[in-house]
Amino acid sequence: MATLAPPEQKTPTERVRRKGVTEQQRPLWLLTPGGALMTVVIVLPLILALWISMIDLDQYTLRRWVEAPFIGLDNYVESFSSGLLNSIWISVSFAVISTIATVPIGIAAALVTQNKYRGRGLVRAVFLIPYVLPSFVVASVWRTMLQPDGIVNAWLAKVGIDGGLWLSGPTSYWTLILVEIWAAWPFIYLMSLAALQSVDHEVHEASAVDGAPWWPKLRRVILPYLRGPVLLACLLATLNHINNFTLPFVLFGAPAPEDVNVMPMIVYVTSFQSLRFGLSAAMAVLSLVLIAIPLFIYLRAVRLDVHEEGGRK
Amino acid sequence: MNAKRLTALAAVTALALGVAACGGDDEGGEGGAGKTLNVLIGANTQYPDEFQAWQKDISAKFKAATGAEVKFETFASANDELTKIQTSVVSGSGPDVYAVGTTFTPTAYSTGAFVKMGDEEWQKIGGKEKFNPATLGISGPDEQNQVGIPWVSRPFVMAYNTDLLKAAGIEKPATTWDELTAHAKQLTKGDQYGLAIAYKDNFDPWKFVWGMSTQAGNPLVDGKTAKLQDPAVQKAYQTYFGWLASDKVVDPAAVGWTNPQAVAAFAKGKTGYFLLTTTTATNSLDQGAVKGKWKFALLPTVPPGATSRPANGVEAASILSGDNLLIADYSKNKDLALEYVKLVTDQDAQLDYYKKFGNLPANAAALQTLASDPQLEPVTEAAKKSVATPFTGAWADIQLALTNVAVQTLPELTKGPINTGQLDSRIADAQKAAQSSLDRAK
Repeated sequence: MATLAPPEQKTPTERVRRKGVTEQQRPLWLLTPGGALMTVVIVLPLILALWISMIDLDQYTLRRWVEAPFIGLDNYVESFSSGLLNSIWISVSFAVISTIATVPIGIAAALVTQNKYRGRGLVRAVFLIPYVLPSFVVASVWRTMLQPDGIVNAWLAKVGIDGGLWLSGPTSYWTLILVEIWAAWPFIYLMSLAALQSVDHEVHEASAVDGAPWWPKLRRVILPYLRGPVLLACLLATLNHINNFTLPFVLFGAPAPEDVNVMPMIVYVTSFQSLRFGLSAAMAVLSLVLIAIPLFIYLRAVRLDVHEEGGRK
Repeated sequence: MNAKRLTALAAVTALALGVAACGGDDEGGEGGAGKTLNVLIGANTQYPDEFQAWQKDISAKFKAATGAEVKFETFASANDELTKIQTSVVSGSGPDVYAVGTTFTPTAYSTGAFVKMGDEEWQKIGGKEKFNPATLGISGPDEQNQVGIPWVSRPFVMAYNTDLLKAAGIEKPATTWDELTAHAKQLTKGDQYGLAIAYKDNFDPWKFVWGMSTQAGNPLVDGKTAKLQDPAVQKAYQTYFGWLASDKVVDPAAVGWTNPQAVAAFAKGKTGYFLLTTTTATNSLDQGAVKGKWKFALLPTVPPGATSRPANGVEAASILSGDNLLIADYSKNKDLALEYVKLVTDQDAQLDYYKKFGNLPANAAALQTLASDPQLEPVTEAAKKSVATPFTGAWADIQLALTNVAVQTLPELTKGPINTGQLDSRIADAQKAAQSSLDRAK
């Protein structure tokens, strides 16, 4: 840089630049440890996954994986004929339905525990139970309850309903959603509760002074505060649903019924039962891209920024 | 992994059969002192304390024989095991000895990362002839290329309720599948059912289909060709599904059962036969209402729809099931590894292991001593009549495809006789998957 600058301007410019650069770089230097960690933990594996997705890596080539034949995009092409599109559809629809269903439950629960009353602490604790239980436990318990001769069908039979098969066939899709909702709503609840707590007292007081009835107050005054955090919660929750492997795996086993062959399941089976590491890497990369595109557009569209929303008061 | 996942317990037990590795190497001319042999072995959740004691005992014996230490590393699931094998294969370092399920041996062989047993190696572990010949059936693609050293057997048999059969006037357990179906119909009345079957198990279904088809003369794989679209396979599925869908000789709840649940159902004493179980289920059965009222029997060996096996049919009483030991070819302690293998496959160690964990010896002499036990006689016979599943790296995919047919058909089983057209199209899908995997096999 210095050599490009005219000689007479060299000294002052350099000084100014140096100072500026150093000041700007200081926080960057502080980020180095985190950056290095990110590189090792995220970037390198991602690059490796991209590479694996373009080689024919399976049990036959695993031992000399560096020499595994490079096959370009063949794995990607094969992904589409291996049912990946169907799995993406199942995953996305399942995730969206689960999110939509958990939002009203979560917000309602947050509102219920917003005002002080005796036993509120207990109610809040109980609400968190589904969230703190490990996915494996949730799935095992539900799997037991939803057996053909399990407790759910026994109860349904008492009121004259034939529960049928929960864990096989088309019903399994709704079973997955049901259990996911049960396990995931407290996340929305937590985020909503946090947002509710950030509403200033003045707002409540002003509403009271104006004599606003509860519903208009909730709809026009309180809920707007929730918009940012809840949208963020929806995003995170949807991604969590899409990435949930434990729940379908423990509920249905592998191979899974076609109706719940979600993306993590198909990647798992391809990788660990068929031992097609290259193909499964391609599926994983495709899934990542396919989810990232709408996610990116969505993030841009809503300009999600909790601080900005919070600062609107 | 190999055999079905009986129960969480049985599966773990099965895996737990893993190997210990270590070996002294007197033949190698170096002492084992100061060396450590690493053995990868499945965790045993059924008998954790006994398993610890066994590891200690083996370590002590090994140290006495060779001066070297054995370090056991356990894995909790087939998935953990596979991950460990993958990382070890890629990095060229890891355990010296692995215990793997028999049906996983072809996959392990296809990685080319394990020691091929030559005459010298077999000699070092006490000779090939010390093993029950049937157990060597899945050690390699042929005699010259064997990597798997038989460690324990878990042949599949059926259990039957002696009281119920007697009450129904059945003198001895069925020996053909048709006879079994007839018995089951006789036994089904009120809250009592003829058969207990784990329809939702992730491993059981393919074993029925392979068995019946092999008995009918079609072992599913012929060289590089998958033969799933075959009348024998279709008949096998129809028989297997038919017990619930049309014969109605199985508790309708069985459509949701894994193998442990089927064990539990049979243990209640209300079911005539429990198909597909192993000696590892003995304890569970003896803790139930069925205690003292059950016996093992060979699974039928005459294919459905026949009264005798066709000329090209094979008397396959069970898949060749159990665990093999593999020695990693990156191991720097191969002689110690062989020494370890010798230790755990010798007669005394094998009988001790059977007493502790219920897995049959692969050692022929040890197996022979058990044959005199009338309760075990059918099981030892099944061990001898076990037939290896096709030795191809594609087998994992083929059994997955076969199981998938069952998984997708489950919802229809409770709705009456199954739709043949739909079954055929699912078998066609399985054929396609199997063939494409065989095409890739190297």
